[in-house]
Amino acid sequence: MRLLWPVNWRLFRNEAHMKREYYLQLAAGGLRLPIGIDLVLHDSPDPQRILRDGSLLGEVVETAARRYASPLAVPLMDLTLEKEDLLRILGTPEAEAETFHFGEAPSEGALQLVRDSSRTPFGTRGQAHIDSVHYIAGKTALLPVGMAIGPFSLMTKLMADPITAIAMAGMGMTPEGDASVLLAERCLELAEMAIARSLEAQIKAGAKAIMICEPAANIVYLSPRQINSGSDIFERYVMRPNLRIKKQLASAEVDLIFHNCGDLVGLMVEQFATRLDPAILSLGSSRVLWEDAALVPKDVVLFGNLPTKKFYSDDAMPTSQVEAMTLELIKRMRAIGHPHILGSECDVLHVPGAASAIRSKVEAMLTCGR
Amino acid sequence: MTELTKLFNAILTGDNKTAIACTQQAIAEGVQPMELITSQMIPAMAEVGRRFESEEYYVPELLLSARAMKGALALLRPLLAASGTQPVARIVIGTVKGDLHDIGKNLVSSMLEGGGFEVVDLGTDVTPEKFIQAIQQHQANIVALSALLTVTMPMMKNTIEALKQASLRDHVKVMVGGAPVTREYADSIGADGYSESATGAVAVARQLAPVS
Repeated sequence: MRLLWPVNWRLFRNEAHMKREYYLQLAAGGLRLPIGIDLVLHDSPDPQRILRDGSLLGEVVETAARRYASPLAVPLMDLTLEKEDLLRILGTPEAEAETFHFGEAPSEGALQLVRDSSRTPFGTRGQAHIDSVHYIAGKTALLPVGMAIGPFSLMTKLMADPITAIAMAGMGMTPEGDASVLLAERCLELAEMAIARSLEAQIKAGAKAIMICEPAANIVYLSPRQINSGSDIFERYVMRPNLRIKKQLASAEVDLIFHNCGDLVGLMVEQFATRLDPAILSLGSSRVLWEDAALVPKDVVLFGNLPTKKFYSDDAMPTSQVEAMTLELIKRMRAIGHPHILGSECDVLHVPGAASAIRSKVEAMLTCGR
Repeated sequence: MTELTKLFNAILTGDNKTAIACTQQAIAEGVQPMELITSQMIPAMAEVGRRFESEEYYVPELLLSARAMKGALALLRPLLAASGTQPVARIVIGTVKGDLHDIGKNLVSSMLEGGGFEVVDLGTDVTPEKFIQAIQQHQANIVALSALLTVTMPMMKNTIEALKQASLRDHVKVMVGGAPVTREYADSIGADGYSESATGAVAVARQLAPVS
C-alpha cells in the first residue's frame, strides 16, 4: 500500500514544538489507525512475558504500527501502570494494586513519599513500558508515542466510590467538611504526582508525543446538572490537573494526544479541544465527530471513533456495518473539512473466542473504500 | 407529625441526612415501615429513575439518591425483619470474575433496592463459585451478572454453566447487563433477562420475580 502521509516525523520538528502540520498531513493523507496493540500482543503465546520486557514490548508496538501502516508507534493502552507504580512507592504489593482503594485520605507522609520518589525505580511492567518507548525511539523511524492514564481517571481508581465523593464536592462540600471530598482531593494529588513521574520517564526515553487517557472524565463521574448549576468540579478535578500535564509536556516539546472515550457533553469536548489544545483529540463512539468538529479548532486532529468495543460480536456489529460506518465517517469529516484520522474508539482488545471476528473488522476499517 | 413527603423529597434530592432524620422521626411516631417504603421511598426512587431516563438526572444524582434511600432503609430493615415482612424477591448481584468495574452494577443494585428487592451485592471480580455459594446461602430468586469488558463477558456464560453444574439453574433466574452486553448475547448464553439500563433492570427483575 502506498503511504499518503509523511513517515519521517523528524522533518517536522522545530525549536519549540512539533509542528502541527505533521499530524494534519497524516489526517490529510487518509491515515487509518486502530489502537490494536493488544491484538498483536496476543499473537504471542506468552503475552505476560512480553509485558515485562521492554524490548519485546517495543517489538510488539513496532509490529502493530507496521501491520496497520502507521508512522505513529502508539503503545499498549495499559491504564494500570501508574496506579501500580504509585502504590508500589507506598508499599502496596503489585498483586494487590488492581483492587486497592484508599479507605481514608492518604496522609501527608504518603504524599511526601511520592513527592520524594524521583529516584525510585519503576516496577517491572512500568519499566518495560518505558523501555518500549526507548526501543521505538532508538531502533525505528516511527514516532515514539508515550501513554499514561489521566489524573482524574487515576484518582477514580484509587477510591471505592469516587462518584459520590465528586458529587458531594459538586454539592458544595469541602475537604474540611466531608471526608470523601478530602479523600478525592488527596488521591488526585497522588495521581498527578505519579503521572508526572511516569511522563518524565517516558520523555527521557524518547517519547515525542504522549497520549493521556482520561476516560473517567465523563458524565458518569461528573454531573452535567451540577456543572450547569455553577459547580467547578470539572474545572477543579479535570481541567486544572490536565493543564498542568499539558504544561509539563509542552516544556519538554512533547505533543499531547488526548483520549477520552467516555460519555461527554459538548462543553467537555470544547474544553479539552480549546484549552488543552492537543495535537490529536481522540473521542469515543458516543460522540458524533462531524458535529463535534464545530467545537474543535481546525489544527486539532480528531481521532476515532468507530465502535470497536462491539467488534467482538457479529450480531452487534457485522462487518458490513463496520464498512458502512467507516465510509460514512470519512465522507462526513471530509465534507466538513475538519482534519480527521479514522480510528478505534479505544484500545481494540483481544477477546478470547472472538479474535478472528475482531481482526476481520479491523481489516475492514483499514481497507474498505480504498 | 412528620410530613412523610419530606422523606420523598430528601431521597429525590439526595439529601442523606434529612432522609435519615425523617425516617427516625417517623419510626418514633409509629409510622409503619412498609408505609414509608411503599408510599415514599419506592415512589421517590421511581421518580429518580424517571429523571435519569429523561437525562434530568445523571449517575451522580442517582447515586446520591440511592445513598439517601439506603440510609433510610438501614433504619427500617431491622423492623421489617422483626415483623416477618418479605421483600419482593432476593437478588444476588455481582460483576463477573476478571472484571473490576462496579459503576453499572452499583446503579442496578441501588435501583433494585429502591424497587423493594433485597439485594446481596457480592462486589466485583466474583467467581462462579461465589455466586453459587451466595445463591444457596441467601436462597436467592434471581442472580444478576454484570460485565463492562468484552473480555470478561464470556464469564457470564461460564457462571450460568456453573449454575447448571450445581443444579441451581432451575431454581434461580439469571439476568445480565453491562455496556458491551446485548440482548442477542444474553439470549445466546441462556440468560432469562437482560436490560440495557439500571432502571430497566428493575422492570426485568419484577418480571423474573416469583409470583407471590
